[in-house]
Formats: sequence, C-alpha cells, structure tokens
Amino acid sequence: MISRKLQFMVAALVIAILGMGFYLVHLKRKAESIGSGPAPQALVAPVSGPAEQMTLYLASDDDYGLRPTTISSPLPGDPGERGRLTLHTLITRYLQKNSEHPLGAGADVHDVFLPDPASAVVNLNAALVDSHRSGIEVEQLTVFSMVRTLKAQLPALTRVRFLVDGKSRETLAGHADLSGWMDVAMVTDACRDLK
Amino acid sequence: MPKDHAIIVRVAALLLLLLTAGFAAEPRRVEVYAPQSSYQVDILVREGVDYVGLTDLLEPLGRVESRVEGKKLKLTFNGAEAEFEDGKRQFRARGVSGDLPSKFLLVDGRGYIPAAVTARLLTRVSDQPAEFHANPRRLFVGGVQFRYTAELRHSPSRLVLAFPAPVNPSTLIERGRVRLLFRREPLVSNGTDYVSYGDPFLASTTFAETSDGAEFVASTLQQATVSMGDGGRTITILAGSAAAPAAGNPAEQPQASSPAAHAAHARPFVILDAAHGGSETGAIFSPTLQEKAINLALAKRLQKELETRGIPVVLTRIADNLLTWDQRAVSANTSHASLYIALHASTSGHGVRLYTAMIPTLQPGQSSRSFLPWELAQSPFLPQSNIAATALAAECNSASLPVRTSSAPLRPLNSVTVAAVAVEVAPLGSSADELSAAEYQQKVVNALATAIVSLRSKLEAGQ
Repeated sequence: MISRKLQFMVAALVIAILGMGFYLVHLKRKAESIGSGPAPQALVAPVSGPAEQMTLYLASDDDYGLRPTTISSPLPGDPGERGRLTLHTLITRYLQKNSEHPLGAGADVHDVFLPDPASAVVNLNAALVDSHRSGIEVEQLTVFSMVRTLKAQLPALTRVRFLVDGKSRETLAGHADLSGWMDVAMVTDACRDLK
Repeated sequence: MPKDHAIIVRVAALLLLLLTAGFAAEPRRVEVYAPQSSYQVDILVREGVDYVGLTDLLEPLGRVESRVEGKKLKLTFNGAEAEFEDGKRQFRARGVSGDLPSKFLLVDGRGYIPAAVTARLLTRVSDQPAEFHANPRRLFVGGVQFRYTAELRHSPSRLVLAFPAPVNPSTLIERGRVRLLFRREPLVSNGTDYVSYGDPFLASTTFAETSDGAEFVASTLQQATVSMGDGGRTITILAGSAAAPAAGNPAEQPQASSPAAHAAHARPFVILDAAHGGSETGAIFSPTLQEKAINLALAKRLQKELETRGIPVVLTRIADNLLTWDQRAVSANTSHASLYIALHASTSGHGVRLYTAMIPTLQPGQSSRSFLPWELAQSPFLPQSNIAATALAAECNSASLPVRTSSAPLRPLNSVTVAAVAVEVAPLGSSADELSAAEYQQKVVNALATAIVSLRSKLEAGQ
C-alpha cells in the first residue's frame, strides 16, 4: 500500500515537470520569434559639432557607374567611427525605396577598424551579404562604392579588407572576392572604366 | 628430432607462402573519376572489409577540414558537416543520420569508411550523384560516367563505336583480336557486355570494367586496323593492315581529316570554365533557372562552335558539379592552354561584360620567372589578358552586343597563369528567359568564338 503522503509527492513532481516543460516550450518559441524578426539596424550614436562634408560614391545599376554625391553632416573625430558613419549613411541610401542600387533589408556595417592609418577593416553585417544580389557587376558596384566612399573620408587609406559578422568571407554573393586586402588605388583605377 | 624438422619445414613453407603472396598481391586502390580530375585512393583492408581514407577521397574534390575529438571525427566538406565515431556504424551528414555497412575506423588520426559506402556519402555531402562499381573498384562522381554504342556496318565490314565525349584508349592489335583499354575515361557498360556477330570480319565483342579501367575487345577473323574520328568520339575497327578512311559517314574519317578531330587531340588553345556548379548555384533567376546551368550551356555551346572552327578546347566541368576556385585555376594552369575564359550570367544590365584580374602588373625588377604569390600569379599575363579582352569586346561590338570591359576582384582570375578573361552575359532586354534562349546564346557565342580564333596567333606567339 502506497502512503497518501508519497502519492501527493509523486503528483506534485509530475505537475512540476509538466509545468517546467510548458515553460520551456514557451521560452523556445519566444526566442525563435525574436530571432526571426527583422535584423536590427546598427545604432548610430548622435554626433554633435559642426557639419562637415561627406562624399558618397553612389552606385547606379542603370548606367553602371558611381556617382559622387556630397552631403553635410556632423562627423565624429575618431577615424574608425567616421568611416563607420560614412558607410552607414551610404548603405542607408541604398535601402531607400528609389535606390538605383538596392540592398536587402537590414543591410548595415557593424564597425570600421583602422589597424593603421593606411588600412581599414570593414565589418559588414550578415544581412547585407546574405541578401545581396548575385552577379559580377552588381557585386563589383557595391564593393567599389564602399571603398571609394571610405577613401574619400579617410584620404590616407591604401587598402581595405571586408569581414562579415567578424569573420572572413570568400565572396560577397558568389562573385566579388572578399577574401583578402583590396588595393584602393586598383579600385580607383578600375572605376575609370565605370561611368 | 624428425618431428622438430617437420615443424621447422612447415613454418618455413608458411613464411615463404606469406612472403610470396605479399609480393604478388597488387596494391588495391579505388579509381575515382570526377569532373575535375581522375585519381586513385589506396584501400586499407581491415577484417576483410575494404576501407578508404576520407581525406584521400574528398580532398581532390573540394575543401576538406577535419578534426578529431576523442573517438569522433568531425569533417567539413565544401561547407557540409559530417560526423563519424570510431568503431560505430552510425554517422551524421548534414544533420541526417546514416548507417555504414561496417564500422568506421579512426587510425592515427585519419578516418576510414568502407569503400562500398563512398558513393552514398559523397551524394549526401556534396549533392552530386555518385556511383560505385564494387568489383572493379571504380567510383564515378558528378555523373561523369558515359556509355558507348557499337554498330556493325557493311561494305566494307566495320565496327563503329560511338562515344558522347572524346576518348583516347590504349590500342593493342593482335592476331584475331583488337583490344582497347580506356584507362582515363569514365566508360561504363552499355548493358550488353558480350555480343556475337557471326560476321566474316567480326566474330564477337566483349566489354569489361577492371581495376585498370574499361576494356573493350573485338575478336576478328581477319587482320584489323583501328581509326579514330569525330574528334575522338568515334572509333572504327575495320579489316585491313593500314588505316584507311572509312567510306560513308564523315564522322568515321580518321582524325587528321577534319578540324574538329584535330581540335580534340591537339594541345588545347582555350580552357572554358563554366562558373559555379553543384550546391553553388550562382545567381538564381527564377525557380527553374539558375546561373550555373546557363554558364554550362554557354560553355558547351562555345566549345562546339570553337571545335567546328578547328580550335582545341577543354572544359573545367562538363556536369553540374562544384569546383573550388583553386581547382579551376589549377585546371587552367595545367591544361597548357593559351587562354582561359570564365563564363558567368546575370540579369543585371544588358549585353556582355568582360573582366580581367584586378591585380598589379609586374613591378620593376620582376619578371614572369619571378616567384609570385598564388593570388598574384596572373600578374605577368595581364598584358595578354587585356589583349584578349580588347579582341572579345571588339567582336561583341561588331555583333551589336552592348559590351563593357573592366577589372574586377574576381577569383580565380588572379591565380591563372595564361591570358584570363571572365565573361558575364546579361540579356539584351529585361527578361531572364533570354539568357536560356538558344538564339541569344548562339549570337554571343559566335562573337566570342570569332574573337578567340583571331587571338590564336597573337597569344600562341607570346608563349
């Protein structure tokens, strides 16, 4: 004969196990719903101070060219932050509805590191790369546009390396090579063939 | 004492037998035929089961990374993950469990799987079809294997063998027998391995797959001769003591008689690289139209066009299989071709775009014989690449195709050690369907072929 006390204990344990199971499923669904939402845009700290000129090399798919566009904006003093803000502004233009070179939703740049004044490591987010259209020309325009925009803001720059979420990636979307350092002068030369 | 002698004699005899068997035994290997290369993998026999090393098997086919964690071997092949455990029959590949016919072996940090399961594993981790023929130990990856047809024709009696791809077998003509040994070709049975003809010239034929390749034997009742035609795609066995042109079908003419035949056997002038393949689709234009398929169709069309014009061509891939950048560059560099053309397709923009490598030309003090890093190996060949791009652009212009040339950070251009150009073909209008239209593909191919023919003397003279 099982004592009443033991029966109560077993019943309580079963209820506790079921309760924890339901809670676990609830937490899992909650985590999944957070993960499947739109990728958060990188936060850009408000910058105060006098407005400075920022040149964006905007790519156009229609005429296969890079169009320099100058805007005024307060810029941070730190070169890495300046680079990040400039690229963030460029990418934001590509996310607009009427963009001539559209990028996928959530595309952004995490950081720009400058190990030395001549070198920049651009850490893109996965949304930019994963949603990028595949093709030599279309990928070339994105990469060249970012390199030239960065060079305009950081004149001492001679080479740029791209990472995606902190890791090296072979190509942007199957074509443009991101595996090594990109020579800024060579990009500038290649842009002469663009309109 | 006599008893002791008997034991010594028996042991010595046994040792001698073992030694003899050891020397006589041929090394056992699996012959692997893949679109990128053919190679052999040594067999390790354990408990009567043939095993092959995982790394030996996969390395020539793509990027392999493996690490041993305790009794487990974790392996990544072209991004696909697989996990095995020493002594266990279960494995996981791409998150799905599977069973091995015998246990997995981990020997000195190297993983071994039963040879019988190689095809199934390759299909699982690479999305490529694979077929293993157990008895001759031949493994076909990426659907490369092909079959032949044999037809006996009369007046004069001759046996015509036709192949879907050029072949180059070792030929042995003996009294009453013609033996063709296909060592490098992934030739398989057409389903009828023995045929009795009862012809005054030809008695019978047999076909067999062996560990050396595939062997076709024709038993003849008269002295026979062998001639090749149609660019190595046909072999004619006929009566006579010297190769005489066969009457009738021009495809049977000996190889020197047609430009196409010459093209298939001479050193290739151009290597065509259909970009992407296998799990790497390139751009996806629609649910049924992917860049990799357009690239391959363009490459095959261009190959046909060039061979018709007498230009020897090789392709990096002839089926839907994945090649790494480095494998493509190595194919180009070892092909002894003078020109490398990578073929891409896109729906962005219109017409044809031509790209050369975005790397510096040789610096002062450097020469083409200087030691250069792999990623700059194209540097000495950039002038030839620019000549090629200019000629291609001129012909596209002549054909009223919008064309642009540029340099681009595009692999494997920078590691190719001959003139190298990437061609990206976009539709003239806005519909992606134009890319798969035979008429548009032929228009582009004609322009490219005309330019390539005009480049031959310039590039070969520069080598």
